[in-house]
Amino acid sequence: MGLLQGATELFPVSSLGHAVLVPSLLHWSFRQSDPSFVPFLVLLHLGTAGALLFIYRTQWVDIIKGFFAAALRGRIEKPSERLAMLLLVGTIPAGILGVFLEHELKSLFASPVAAASFLALNGFLMLGFEVLRRRAEKRAAIDAKTRVEQEESFAVAEQISFKAAALVGACQALALLPGISRSGVTIGGGLMAGLRHQEAARFSFLLATPIIAAAGVLEIPQLLASSVPLSEYLAAAVLAGTAAYLSARFLLRYFRSGRLDPYGWYCVAAGIASLALLTFRP
Amino acid sequence: MALVVLAVVFVVVAGLYAVGALQFMVSDPHASHHYTHAILFAVLAVASLIGANFARAKGTA
Repeated sequence: MGLLQGATELFPVSSLGHAVLVPSLLHWSFRQSDPSFVPFLVLLHLGTAGALLFIYRTQWVDIIKGFFAAALRGRIEKPSERLAMLLLVGTIPAGILGVFLEHELKSLFASPVAAASFLALNGFLMLGFEVLRRRAEKRAAIDAKTRVEQEESFAVAEQISFKAAALVGACQALALLPGISRSGVTIGGGLMAGLRHQEAARFSFLLATPIIAAAGVLEIPQLLASSVPLSEYLAAAVLAGTAAYLSARFLLRYFRSGRLDPYGWYCVAAGIASLALLTFRP
Repeated sequence: MALVVLAVVFVVVAGLYAVGALQFMVSDPHASHHYTHAILFAVLAVASLIGANFARAKGTA
C-alpha cells in the first residue's frame, strides 16, 4: 500500500482512486472503516510530503523567505516572492473546498464503482487537456517545431497570473472525488494557464506540499492516540516517500517533452476495466 | 481597510471553530474543537492582512 500510494500520489492517475480500487479488486484485507486506516493513510501522506519537501528543499527556503519579504513589504520584487504569493493564492480555494466538502464528497463517492467511474473520467480529462494544448500550439504556429522547442514557447510557473493560480488551486479540489487525480487536474490546469508541462508539474508538486503536509500534521494527534503498529506504518511511510521521490524525479524528466496522453489512456482503460470487473465478478 | 475588517472577522470565526462554538459544515458535529476549520480561517485572516498590506503599499506608491 505504501509503494502504491507513494507512486500514484504524484502520477496523474489518482492515488485515492487506486487506494479504493486496488484493495477491492485484489481482495486485500484493508477495511477503510477501520479506526487504524486513517492514521495509516496520514503517515503515507507525510512520507509523500517529506519526499516533495526534500526534492524542492532549496526552492522552499527561497519561497518561505520570499513569502515573508513580500508580505511585510507589500510588494513583489523577485520571482521567488511571486511564486510564494501564487502558491498562497492557489492553496486557498483548495483549502476552503477541502475543509468544507471533503467529508461529504468522500462519504458520497467512496465506493469502488464510483472510484472506477471517476478514474475513467480523469482519463478523459487528461486527454481533453492535451487536445486543448495541441490547439494552443497550432494557434501559436509552433506545432511543426520539436517538442522541446514547443515547450519553451510556454511560460514558467513564476509568470502566470494570480487568477490562473487560483483556478489551478480550485482544480485541486476536484481530487476530493476518488478517481480524480490531484496532480492530473492541477497539471492540466497549469497547461490551461499556459505553463510548460514540466513547469505545470513543478507548480502542481509545490502546490500539493503544504496541503498534503498540513492534512498529515493535523491527523498526528489521532495517530498517537490510536493503538496502531507504528513501526510497520512507519516502514510503509518510508516506502511511500521513496516511491514519491522516484515518481517525482521521473515525472519532471518525462514532462520535459512528454504529454499527459499515456496517463489519460491508462486511466480510461483502468477505469473501464475496473468497472467491468466490479460489475461482472462473481 | 475592508481587508483588515475581513481579517478580524476571519480571526473571530477561527476562534469560534477552535472552541467549538461554531458547528457550521463540520464533519463531526459532536466534536468539541474543529481545528481544521480554525486553521483555515486563520490562514484566510493572514491572507487578508497580506492583501491589505499590498493594497496599502500600492496606494502610497
